[in-house]
Amino acid sequence: MYKKNSKISIKSYLNFSELLNEYRGTHEENRLFALKHEASLPNPKQILLIWMEKNSFRISKKSETKTLLQKFSILSNFVGLFSLIFGFLAGLGLLSYSGHAPVNVIYYLLFAMVIPSLSMIISMVSLLGSGTVFNALSLFFPLHWIETILNFFSFRDKIDTFNTLFSDELKKWMFMSRLQLFSLLFSIGLLFALLVIVVSKDIAFSWSTTLNVTDIGFFKLLASIGFPWGHILPSAIPSVELIEMSHYYRLGENLNTHMIQNADKLGAWWKYLAMVTLFYAIFLRFLLWLATHYGFQKQLEKDFLELDGVEKLLREFNTPFVSTKSPKEEKHLEIVKESDEQVAHDVAKIYKSIIGWNFSNDEILLLNDAKSISSSNISIVGGSNSFLDDQKVAKEAKDEVLLYVKSWEPPTMDFVDFLEDLLANDNIREIQVYPLGTVGRNYESDEREIAIWKRKIQGLKSKKVWVIDV
Amino acid sequence: MYRKEESLNNEYPKFAVVGHPNKGKSSIVSSLALDDSVQIGDTPGTTQVKRGFPLKVDGKIIYELFDTPGFQRARRVLSWLNEQAPVSADKKGDVVRAFIATHRGDERFIDEIELLEPIMNGAGIIYVVDASKPYGSEYETEMEILRWCGQPSMAILNLIGEENYTEQWKNALGHYFRMVRTFNPIKATFRDHIELLDSMSQLKEEWTKPIKVAIKVLEDLQQQKVEQTVDSIVSNMLKTLSYVHRQKIVGESATDKEEEKLKLFYRQKIIKFEKEQEKNIESIWNHRSIEKVENMLVLDNVGLFSKESASIFGLSQQQLIITGASAGAMGGLGIDLLLGGGSLFLGSIIGGAVGGVGAMMGFDNLYEVKVLGQSIGKRELSVGPMKNLNFPYILLGRSLYHASVIAKRSHAMRGDIDLEQEEFLTEQIINSDMRKTLEKVHVSLRKGDEPKEEDLKAYKKVLKESFLGLL
Repeated sequence: MYKKNSKISIKSYLNFSELLNEYRGTHEENRLFALKHEASLPNPKQILLIWMEKNSFRISKKSETKTLLQKFSILSNFVGLFSLIFGFLAGLGLLSYSGHAPVNVIYYLLFAMVIPSLSMIISMVSLLGSGTVFNALSLFFPLHWIETILNFFSFRDKIDTFNTLFSDELKKWMFMSRLQLFSLLFSIGLLFALLVIVVSKDIAFSWSTTLNVTDIGFFKLLASIGFPWGHILPSAIPSVELIEMSHYYRLGENLNTHMIQNADKLGAWWKYLAMVTLFYAIFLRFLLWLATHYGFQKQLEKDFLELDGVEKLLREFNTPFVSTKSPKEEKHLEIVKESDEQVAHDVAKIYKSIIGWNFSNDEILLLNDAKSISSSNISIVGGSNSFLDDQKVAKEAKDEVLLYVKSWEPPTMDFVDFLEDLLANDNIREIQVYPLGTVGRNYESDEREIAIWKRKIQGLKSKKVWVIDV
Repeated sequence: MYRKEESLNNEYPKFAVVGHPNKGKSSIVSSLALDDSVQIGDTPGTTQVKRGFPLKVDGKIIYELFDTPGFQRARRVLSWLNEQAPVSADKKGDVVRAFIATHRGDERFIDEIELLEPIMNGAGIIYVVDASKPYGSEYETEMEILRWCGQPSMAILNLIGEENYTEQWKNALGHYFRMVRTFNPIKATFRDHIELLDSMSQLKEEWTKPIKVAIKVLEDLQQQKVEQTVDSIVSNMLKTLSYVHRQKIVGESATDKEEEKLKLFYRQKIIKFEKEQEKNIESIWNHRSIEKVENMLVLDNVGLFSKESASIFGLSQQQLIITGASAGAMGGLGIDLLLGGGSLFLGSIIGGAVGGVGAMMGFDNLYEVKVLGQSIGKRELSVGPMKNLNFPYILLGRSLYHASVIAKRSHAMRGDIDLEQEEFLTEQIINSDMRKTLEKVHVSLRKGDEPKEEDLKAYKKVLKESFLGLL
């Protein structure tokens, strides 16, 4: 369930990416959704998460990213556990004491302070540097090599697929954040080993180096290393006396008598070593992990908002939906197929009756003249004539009737009513409908107009009525 | 508040587009409603029932247009109305209502009832005539019926054919309508559309404000469509020009067959990207029915990778050399900047010269095919990103041409696009200064780098400018 201020996780990022590949909604749906969640509209991340949650059922159940995420999680858990165990084992190895030579604190400091500090500095430089710097410096990290080796195993292709889902910048933050976490686990393992050894074994610590370092010089170095906790825990800083008595020379085969006499004091080193581990390897690493995790989270959010399709979604959320569509389905007209049926290609010179539909008497006279057609019985119908007048004309017509019509005016039902009156007259043998073009075109009508008349007449299915197409 | 269902507020302006059959009523509605799904036919009676086309903003209706069937038995209707005379002017509307009530269900008057009903429910009348055909007194019957309705009205002269009887019509219509306007739905531009709406707003005082709102909404919508079109073109340019396809190969080096197969796949993918982009543009401009018209997509006949396409949409050799020189100079400039100008800008000069010659030589060389070695012995063949200097301009020219034709296309149009009638030269709409801006992004993409944000912004700006110039 979505909670306010929910964080974006890799899982939600991948789910969102998959959802956007499968579904992006229409503008209408998205705007409607946005208006229902108007309060979240100013916060793009929040409204996108709500939208994702609402549409999460659309993500296919056989989601590949889900499987990949599980594999990635197993891999991370494995490397994490491995780091913890490796840290513990490394601690046991560093602190192994056979009773012959004491444990050299310098070795331990190397693993608990020097290497972690160096690794943290490289991490920070690679984060601040460009992609090339990161690629070059990442070679120094064991995690890079662990993943490179794992890449050769059977699920290499799957890891490759997984990697293509993220931007280079995000992969960089993801790598750095995981690197800090695994290093932290390694250091926890190291500290745990130190505590286990201190509790379960009676070991002697010493310090030894080929370099010409005086006891006072070494004290100053250790005191400056222990500066962060020196004031709070002074007992966790080795005294000059302890440094003097635990100075070990490589030529002494066994512990010297001075060391044996002060054996109870030699163990006091553990507090210092534990604090070094706790501060440098754990606390600082923890801070760096927090910082990289924050950086990763920010990059994840940035990439989340830059996923393909997000711009469209946000635009549709914020843009009023304008619709001009009709909510009513159109009733499609069934069009009668045109054929040559009831089509005449000749015009006679004399007709018993000539009738003009929507023509004036003068216009008919001009027409007859232009077409060299004559008749003793000329009538006009339609237009401003009354129905009674039209019916009278229809009743009085005989034999062959020529019916002039304006080709550009399609036949209306008013015309069909008149035609049916003519057809009902048994004295009429044949009706010829003659569609004529405008005067400007010398009464020529175009094919498209004639076709309309043909279809209408053919639709009447009468053998008495013809369309003239010359 | 958003309401998906029809707005409860019934006070918005309504307009019924009425007239004789086949005078282009549906074309006018289709054009004004920006909807190419309206059935338009040359057979009378194509529109059998009235259909409302509401302009809704977030579900709220701003105005509504009604497409209606044409008059079929106008004389009979007028005869019935006259039989009720004498009627005072204020009662004439009631007589029309009585006609509707009396004849509802009468098959003879289905069309008349369909067209009179919205008018008697308060819709303004938009009477459409074909001014390319002569006026006839039979129209007076229809106009007389409309006068009986007593609603605000205007007439539209639609020039369907080649002849022109506008003056004749104006003289006749002036007796019946307060306003007579000419509007050709097929050729109407967005501006014509807005002007017609503005005229409609003057029919009734109460309608002025909502129609002004509608005009603002449509202008904003037009702006959004332009932005979305440019975004879509830019997105396709970036996707296409940076596209790299990799394929595993068996041997140490690729065979000719493997290489050809890879190149074919690469080209097909780019063609697919273009098709998707065209579909997207058509959907942005609400031309969803285009796919139903055969041979509509004329760009198909001029394939993306063809020489015809290069000659129509690409740059000329001369322009290509200049562009290549500027692209090369950009690379050289990097060296100059690195040396703090100590190179006396020789980097730019040499880079420019190399780029120019490269542009001339590389016309047929579209993309680089590389064999990539893998540490465990497996090898990959890689093709892309697009290296050819002219290709981005060909793609861009085609995209801008297609988008401009679609954007200008009236929703009343159902025919084909005639490529021959359109004059298009990429060089003319994208001048050399614009090309410099575009080339910054093209250079990055050719190198396989991500373009800088500010370069992309400038790229979009240039494309928007070019696109607007075509509208």
